[in-house]
Amino acid sequence: MAIATLDQAVVEELVAICGEEHVLTGKSALFNRARVPAPFPTHRWEEYIPQVVVLPTAAQQIAEVVELANRRRIPVVPRAGGTGLTDGAVPLRHGIMVDVKLMNRILEIDHEDRTVTVQPGINMLKLNEELRKHGYIYPDNPASYPCSLVGGRIGTSGWSLIGGRYGHTRDLVISFEIVLPTGERVRVGDGGGPKVRKSSSGYQLKHLFMGHQGTLGIVTEATLELVPRPEAEFSAFFAYPDYASAWHSTGALARSGLATLAGVVLFDEWKVAYLRRDDEAYIPQTPDVRSVVATAMYGTVDEVRPAAKRLLKIGLETGGTYLGDEISQGDWASRHDRYATPLHGRTRNGQVAPMSWHCEDASIPYSQLPAVREKWHAIAANLCERFDMFDDWGMFAYTNGAFKPWGDYLTEIDIGIWEMQWDDGSWAAWVEAKRDIAAVSLEHGGSISACHGSCREGEVDLVPLELGGGFEVMKTIKRALDPLNVMNPGKYLLDQAYEEGEE
Amino acid sequence: MSEETRAGQASNGAPSEEFLDEWRNAAYNCYSSGHKFCREVCPVMQVTRDEAHTPTAFHANVVAMEKGHLGIEDVARDYVHCTMCGACELRCPNTLFTGDFYRFRQRTVDLVKAMRTLAVEKAIHQPNWKRWNEVTDRMKSEPVLNGTSVSQEHVADWAEGLDLTIGGETVLFCDCEAAFYRTSVPRAVAQILKKAGVEFGLMREQWCCGGPAAEMGYAEQARRFAEHNVADWRAVGAKRILVLDPHDYISFTEDYPGYFGDDYDFEIILVVEFVADLIRDGRLSLSVPIERVATYHDACRLNKRKGIHKEPREILRAIPGLEFKDVDHVTQWSYCSGAGAGLGIERPDLTAEISRRRVERAKALEIDTLVSACPWSERPLTDQGKDQDIEIYDLMELVAEAAGLQV
Repeated sequence: MAIATLDQAVVEELVAICGEEHVLTGKSALFNRARVPAPFPTHRWEEYIPQVVVLPTAAQQIAEVVELANRRRIPVVPRAGGTGLTDGAVPLRHGIMVDVKLMNRILEIDHEDRTVTVQPGINMLKLNEELRKHGYIYPDNPASYPCSLVGGRIGTSGWSLIGGRYGHTRDLVISFEIVLPTGERVRVGDGGGPKVRKSSSGYQLKHLFMGHQGTLGIVTEATLELVPRPEAEFSAFFAYPDYASAWHSTGALARSGLATLAGVVLFDEWKVAYLRRDDEAYIPQTPDVRSVVATAMYGTVDEVRPAAKRLLKIGLETGGTYLGDEISQGDWASRHDRYATPLHGRTRNGQVAPMSWHCEDASIPYSQLPAVREKWHAIAANLCERFDMFDDWGMFAYTNGAFKPWGDYLTEIDIGIWEMQWDDGSWAAWVEAKRDIAAVSLEHGGSISACHGSCREGEVDLVPLELGGGFEVMKTIKRALDPLNVMNPGKYLLDQAYEEGEE
Repeated sequence: MSEETRAGQASNGAPSEEFLDEWRNAAYNCYSSGHKFCREVCPVMQVTRDEAHTPTAFHANVVAMEKGHLGIEDVARDYVHCTMCGACELRCPNTLFTGDFYRFRQRTVDLVKAMRTLAVEKAIHQPNWKRWNEVTDRMKSEPVLNGTSVSQEHVADWAEGLDLTIGGETVLFCDCEAAFYRTSVPRAVAQILKKAGVEFGLMREQWCCGGPAAEMGYAEQARRFAEHNVADWRAVGAKRILVLDPHDYISFTEDYPGYFGDDYDFEIILVVEFVADLIRDGRLSLSVPIERVATYHDACRLNKRKGIHKEPREILRAIPGLEFKDVDHVTQWSYCSGAGAGLGIERPDLTAEISRRRVERAKALEIDTLVSACPWSERPLTDQGKDQDIEIYDLMELVAEAAGLQV
């Protein structure tokens, strides 16, 4: 498949805006920005490459690039870390990729009003290395904490592993500047003031410009919450003989009302069996351990010490067995490194194969978790039966609400995929399975995604069903803000906005 | 394999089946997981922020090459952007959590080396590396003195007046940078050894270890240099080699065994570890106070490649008068001088910036001295230290001073 090269005049204009060393047209620059860690059809790689990459160093450059894209009607795709698990940063129509990684400076630490203002290309771990010196933490803590970037967290409206205590990305980003699809720079927040956390003035635009997967603009600067670094961390893992008792216990722990509770994580039997089978780092348990619940708390010593006692009491009274300090502290401490392990799975006859981890996520009400679990595993079983390159690695459910972590759960099923085996048939089956998984989530009153976004092939088909009249509003907004459909086109079925507009 | 893929592989830059067989699984293991935890610890990526300079890209390129999307000509320049410090391997979850099961380690440094070698095999040269290796081939030492010739005649000039002998069971190997540029380091080492009563000699004819050539992709030349040095060691009856430079230490403990297999039976001793032993055993006493406030720069090839980080700290703590402000060795995974693996030859701007940031981190500790244990790091760090009012010392220079020796 041949990709039309961009008009040389466009490249020259981009060079004039961003500087020669920040405009890349080499093949490796393009191919290495075509994908994210989500399953990627290597056999169709060329369909997803940008035509040119720019690495801007200032907001005004981004505004000018977007203005140019409108004038020339060229698609623009923003990219931060490229670590997302939906395809926000993957070009579907080629065009200009705006890679913001060079914009990674801390612009201001405000000790009085407790904010830190950063550029979008900064990573949270790196930010925290600086904040630590002042006794602060920016607690946006996804599985990709060591590598994802603030701009992508906003574009995705990310979920944080310790969000029960500190909130998720939307709660931690106070305001930001965004270049709109037509090139204007605007500041959006809860209201007007860039450091105001709560306002009733005007529309709440901050939420509109989060989680749009790059379809509504490019963030150029963000003002973030500064949180006192916690004095104390407490984590406890409990074991159960079956899923049902673990599920009951999870509910009780999450409803405890303990303000320091950062999250509760439920491992189902498939997950425990998988870890027992293939994770060398998993600490052996007796065979009657079939389901596990992990909890973590953060706060001052005065808060965490008594709260930990209460938490342990609830865990034990609801049928859990404390798994000991080694697992509780060690496993929690290594959580970021462990989200994709052990990185190998099994074929049907038990042979080890180099598989990668892929996670389908949804928001599911607590009451529906057992039923959803059964249906999702059935979908995975069907997939594994048809193609000997998938492996069901079990499910996690994480408390999902910020500060009040008891109602719904980020629910994920992890599927190992032997990606060297992709072909059109297996790819189509995978896409179908994703659609089926999403359909189950909706049948049970959930949402297709809690943290990744839902714009990939398969699941995206059901977004209009999920949002109903809301999807019509999305299209109206998209058309109003991006009249020429240049901003990350092809995502979220938003091309429909323009088909209707022409009728 | 599809016809399309076959067609793609017809390009001149396609790697051989043998190459793909060696790297395919490792490439997919990285490619499929896509964690990218390696990124923010990579000293080069921290500066360029270019996704094509990441270990992820270095592995994904193998996949793309096999699929016929890219050839070595498309990616060769990207592989310049690596100091082979090894941070990415340490930070790789594949290594951290699957190592035991598979006995697997993500070997990004080896992959970069293999890609650079493939490029040279396909006659794709980086201009400064080509020149550098041509001169090295001619002069037998690396051209570390800009404009001034290095030669065999002068390879042991650093030892002038020290009354060192040639040969013996223990031979001190001195790398090119130290032999011609930072001569105070080998002078310090030689005098420390003598003071402690260690018998050692020099080689009859010492050539470059060949490691830099191997790192830049000039594999055949690297091998020839290794053969020369080993022959020289044998000729003088050497059984153990004392190594003062971490880069040589990698060559002698990783490259040379690969070249010579079981025949290679030399004991390779790192001077830093040896001197730590001497101090610990009381064979070397440090009694002259050094009134400085110092921090230690973990040499990448010691800390990240070889796990050696205790001994340098032990030595620093044994120096009287020295106030030592340490930064732990894991934090230093993301530190580097930028001098390794030829980066400074092709991209001196990046080396300078990586060094500037390293010195800036030291400066924040309110110290006056940054101590390294790698002569190659000391030149770019010294350049940046001048601007930031920080003096750069080699650990052995300080030890010699504390031992009352005039270097």
